Amino acid sequence: MSELERLQDTMMRYLLQPDADNEADCLQWVDDQHGLAAPQRLHIYANAYKARLREVIDTDHEMLGLYLGDELFEQMVSGYLAAYQSPYTSLRQYCDRLPEFLRQDSFFSQYPILSDLAGFERRLFDAFDAAESDRVPVNALEGIAANHWPILKVRFHPSVQLCQFQSNAVESWQALKHNQEPPAPRLGESRYWLLWRNQERVTEFSSLQYWQYRLMAGFLNGDDLSQQCELLLDTFDENETPGQVFAALQAWLEMGIISHFS
Amino acid sequence: MQPSDATSETLLSPYLGFGLGLRTPHYEQVLQEQPDVDWFEVLSENYMVAGGKPRYYLEAIGERYPLVMHGVSMSIGSTDPLNMEYLRSLKALANAVNPRWISDHICWTSIHGVNSHDLLPLPYTWETVRHVAERVKQVQDFLGRRILLENVSSYLSYRNSEMNEWEFLNAVCDEADCLILLDVNNIYVSARNHGFDPLDYLNVVNPLRVQQIHLAGHSDYGDYVIDTHDHDVPDAVWDLYRETLKRLGPVSSMIERDGNIPTFDELYNELGQARTIADDVLGIDAIPASKRHVFGAAQQAVQEVARV
Repeated sequence: MSELERLQDTMMRYLLQPDADNEADCLQWVDDQHGLAAPQRLHIYANAYKARLREVIDTDHEMLGLYLGDELFEQMVSGYLAAYQSPYTSLRQYCDRLPEFLRQDSFFSQYPILSDLAGFERRLFDAFDAAESDRVPVNALEGIAANHWPILKVRFHPSVQLCQFQSNAVESWQALKHNQEPPAPRLGESRYWLLWRNQERVTEFSSLQYWQYRLMAGFLNGDDLSQQCELLLDTFDENETPGQVFAALQAWLEMGIISHFS
Repeated sequence: MQPSDATSETLLSPYLGFGLGLRTPHYEQVLQEQPDVDWFEVLSENYMVAGGKPRYYLEAIGERYPLVMHGVSMSIGSTDPLNMEYLRSLKALANAVNPRWISDHICWTSIHGVNSHDLLPLPYTWETVRHVAERVKQVQDFLGRRILLENVSSYLSYRNSEMNEWEFLNAVCDEADCLILLDVNNIYVSARNHGFDPLDYLNVVNPLRVQQIHLAGHSDYGDYVIDTHDHDVPDAVWDLYRETLKRLGPVSSMIERDGNIPTFDELYNELGQARTIADDVLGIDAIPASKRHVFGAAQQAVQEVARV
C-alpha cells in the first residue's frame, strides 16, 4: 500500500467512524499548525460528512421527516449513516436503500408505514428524472386493426412506476404535503399506486384498483392483450372484460403514459 | 517553483465573459427572460440522469447560452482505479451538452469504493503529483479534451507535504498538461485556515493555464473559515478577485452559489460587481468574447492599466 493510499484509507475510516482510535490514527498524518488545533481541523471534515448526508436525507425525504418528528428523524439518520456508506458518485442515489433500512432496522421495522413512506418518496424521484420518450396520441386506438388487438402489447413511458403498499403511507404523505395531520396508520390492506411524469414534466400519482394494477403489471411484463383479458376473467365476466380493458387503455392514453403499441 | 514557460495561447478556450452557476430555482426565469448572462456553469452530476426536468432545462438553456460542466465526483486524487462508469456518464453528458470545457477538483473524494461526497485535500508530495497527473492524462485521453482542475478549500495540511498548495497545483497541471479553474474564494478560505498570504498563491499560480475563475461566499467563524457557498461574495474575496485579474488578465469568471440560494436577480446584480471590477482593472469589459481569449490581449490590457 502506497503512502497516499495509507493516508486516504486512514482518513476515510475516520470520516465513517470518528472515534478516538481512528482520530488518533488520522492525527499521525495531520500537521500541527498555528491557530486551530489538529483535532479540530479533523472534526470539520467529520462534521461535514455527517451534515452533508443528513441534509440529503432531509431534503429527499421531507414528508418522512415530518412524519417522524425531529427526535426520530435524527435516530433514523444516525442509523442509516452507520449502516450505509455511499458507493455513489451522485447524492441522488444515497437514500435508495432507506426503505430497506426502515424495513430491517429493529426499531423502525415496528412501524411498517415508514418504509412505505420512504419507498413512495423514492419512486417520486424515479418518475421525476426517468428518461423521456414519445407518447402515443389519444386517438391511437382507432388505428389498430382488428386482427392486431389480441396480440397488442403496450410499452409505458419510462417514468411510469407501479407501487404496492401495505399501509396508508400515500394518504399520510398527501396530508403532510398539505400541512395536515396524517391519518392514523392503517396496516395490512394492500394499496396500489401509479406514478408518472406528465407531458408538462410534473410528477403525478393515482390510486389503482387491484385489477388495474395487475393489468399494468402484465403489460410491463410484456404480456399481450389476450393474455391480459384472460387474466381478468376472475374479476369480470367475458362480456365485460374487453370493455374494461379498452377503457383502461383509453385512460392511459389520455394520461399520456403510453409510449408505444406493438 | 516558477510557472511553466510553455506557450499558452493555444491552451485556453475562448474567453466567455461573466457567468453564473445554473441552479434549479432559476431554470424558468433564465429560460423565459434570457437574462444578459454570458454563460452558465452546470453541475455535471445533477444531469447524469436519464431525463425529466433537469435534462429538459439543460437542453433548452444550452440552446441559448454557452455552458461549461463542473463535477465533484471524479476523485482524481484517489488511489482507487478511475471510475470508468462515471467517466462514461460524464462523456455521454458532454456529448449531449457540448460544453465549452469540463472541470472537477484537485482532491480526492472516495476510496475503496466509498464516496465521502467531500472534496478532501491531498498531501502535496511529488508522489501525489505523479499519481494525479497520470490519472488526469488518462481522463483527458478518454474525454478527448483537456480538463480543468479547481483548487479546493482545506482545513488541514499533512505532515508529509513537500511543497505549497500553489506549487502542487502548478506541478500537477504542468505534468498533466491540464488547465486550472481558480477559485478565488477557496484561496481566501485556505489562506485564512493555514495562515498564508493569498497573494503568494496568486503570484505563483501559472497564469497560462487558468481558464476559469470561481467567486463565492463562505462562513467566517473567526478562528477558521468554512467554504459554504451560501453567502454573498464578501469584500475580502472581491479584493482578491481584483488582485487576481491584475495578474491574470481577463479570465471567464462566475459566481458559484450552492446554498441559501437568492433570487436570480440578486445573483445577477452580484455578478455586476465582477463586471465592474474587471472593467476597473482591465478596462476591457466591453470587448467581444471573440477578441478576448488570447492571453496576449490580457497581458496588453494589464500593461495598459499599468501605464495609466
